[in-house]
Amino acid sequence: MKLLKLGIRFWITLTSLLSFASGWIMLAHAPKPSQAEYSSASVTTLEPLPPLSDFNAGGNNFQNQPSFDIQSQPRARLGFNSFFSTGGS
Amino acid sequence: MIRSMGFRAMNTEVLLAAEGEEAIAGMYAAKLFIEDCELRFSRFLPASELSELNRSSGNWLAVSNELLEMLQLSLKYHHETFGIFDPSILSDLKQAGYDRSMDEIRTKGVADVHHASRLPSRPAFDEISFDLADKRVLIPSNMEIDLGGIAKGWIVEKAARLLHSYADVCGVSAGGDILFIGSPLDGYDWDVYLEDPRDPAQMLSQLHIPSGAVATSSVMKRTWHQGEKVRHHLIDPRTGEPANTNWLSVTVICPNIITADVYAKALLIGGEKERLHLLKDKPELEFIAVDPNGNLRGSQNYKEYTYAFASDTFLSTGIVH
Repeated sequence: MKLLKLGIRFWITLTSLLSFASGWIMLAHAPKPSQAEYSSASVTTLEPLPPLSDFNAGGNNFQNQPSFDIQSQPRARLGFNSFFSTGGS
Repeated sequence: MIRSMGFRAMNTEVLLAAEGEEAIAGMYAAKLFIEDCELRFSRFLPASELSELNRSSGNWLAVSNELLEMLQLSLKYHHETFGIFDPSILSDLKQAGYDRSMDEIRTKGVADVHHASRLPSRPAFDEISFDLADKRVLIPSNMEIDLGGIAKGWIVEKAARLLHSYADVCGVSAGGDILFIGSPLDGYDWDVYLEDPRDPAQMLSQLHIPSGAVATSSVMKRTWHQGEKVRHHLIDPRTGEPANTNWLSVTVICPNIITADVYAKALLIGGEKERLHLLKDKPELEFIAVDPNGNLRGSQNYKEYTYAFASDTFLSTGIVH
C-alpha cells in the first residue's frame, strides 16, 4: 500500500513537471505580437449584417416594406462594424 | 439611430442609410428613384430611353433632361481622361460577350463564342452632337452607347441628394459606389470596408470617410468565359478589348461620386502608365490600387482615409508618390 501511494505521488509530480516544462517551451517558441507577420487574408472578416426586422414608420405607407434598423451605438474606431463596403460591382 | 435599407437594382446591391425622423420615407423615395433610373438607363431593356437612343443612331432624338445631362457629363469626362473613359464602346463590349445582363451571364453563360474578326472602326465618342435648345441628341451611325461607366455614379449622386432632402445625414451605395452626405451623429466618420478583389469576403483595409464619395472598379467582379478566354467588362477604348491592366481594382476617394466612378475606371484601365497623366489636374482625388498580389498602392494622401489597424508595413507597402 505504501509503495502504491509513493508511486502515485511520484507519477503526479512527474506529469506536473512535464506539463509545466512543455507549456514553457511552447510559449517560448510562439511568435511575439510584434513579430507576427501581417497577412491581409487573415484580417477579421465582415460581421454579418443585422437581421431584418419590422419597423414602425409612424403612419407612413411603408410599414409593410422590408427593411432593417441599425441601432445607434458607439463605434470603436477599429471595431470593423461598418455595413458599407466597396469593391466594384 | 442610423437606419438602413438594402435591395438589388442595376444588377448590383444597393444600400441606403440615413439618420433622422424622416429617414425611412426618404429611403423609400430614393429606392423608387433608383428603380425608375434603372428602367430608363439600362441597355438591357429594349424599352429604356438609352435603348431608344442607340436605335436612333444617325438621327436626332429628343431626350429627357436626365439623359442629356448624363451624356454631356460623359463627354466632359471623355475629354478629361484623354479618351480613356468612353461610353461608346458598347459594340466592343458585346463583341467580348457582354451582350446580356451580368445576372443572365452568371446563370446561363455567354450565348456563343464570338469568332468575328475585329469590328469596323466605330465613330469617336466626341462626334456626338447636342441641340440644347430642343434637348435633342445625335449619335453617329454605328455608335452604341453604354452608360455603365457613369450611370451608377450619377444615380447615386441624385439618390443621395433626394435622401438628403429627408435626412441631414445619409449615405447611398450602389455596388460599392458610395456618396456620404454629412457625418454620423455619433461623431465618427463613415466606415467602409475595402474588399480584396481576389476574395471579396475578405477585406484589405477599412476606410473612414468624413463625407464625400468612394468608388471602386475591379476587373474581378464582372467576368465570364468566352471560349477559353476569361473576359471582364472594362473595355480599353484604345484596343477595343477588355483592358490588360496591371491592377485588379482601383478605389477613388474624392468629394464627387461621378468623378470617383469615372476615375476609378479610367485609372484601372490606364494603370500605372497613365496614372500621373490622369491625375495631373485632380488634386482633390486620392486613389488606392490593388495589384495581383494584394499589395496596395496609392496616391500620396490616401493613408489619411485608412485605419492603421495592422502593422506599419501595411501602409508602407508600395506607396506611389
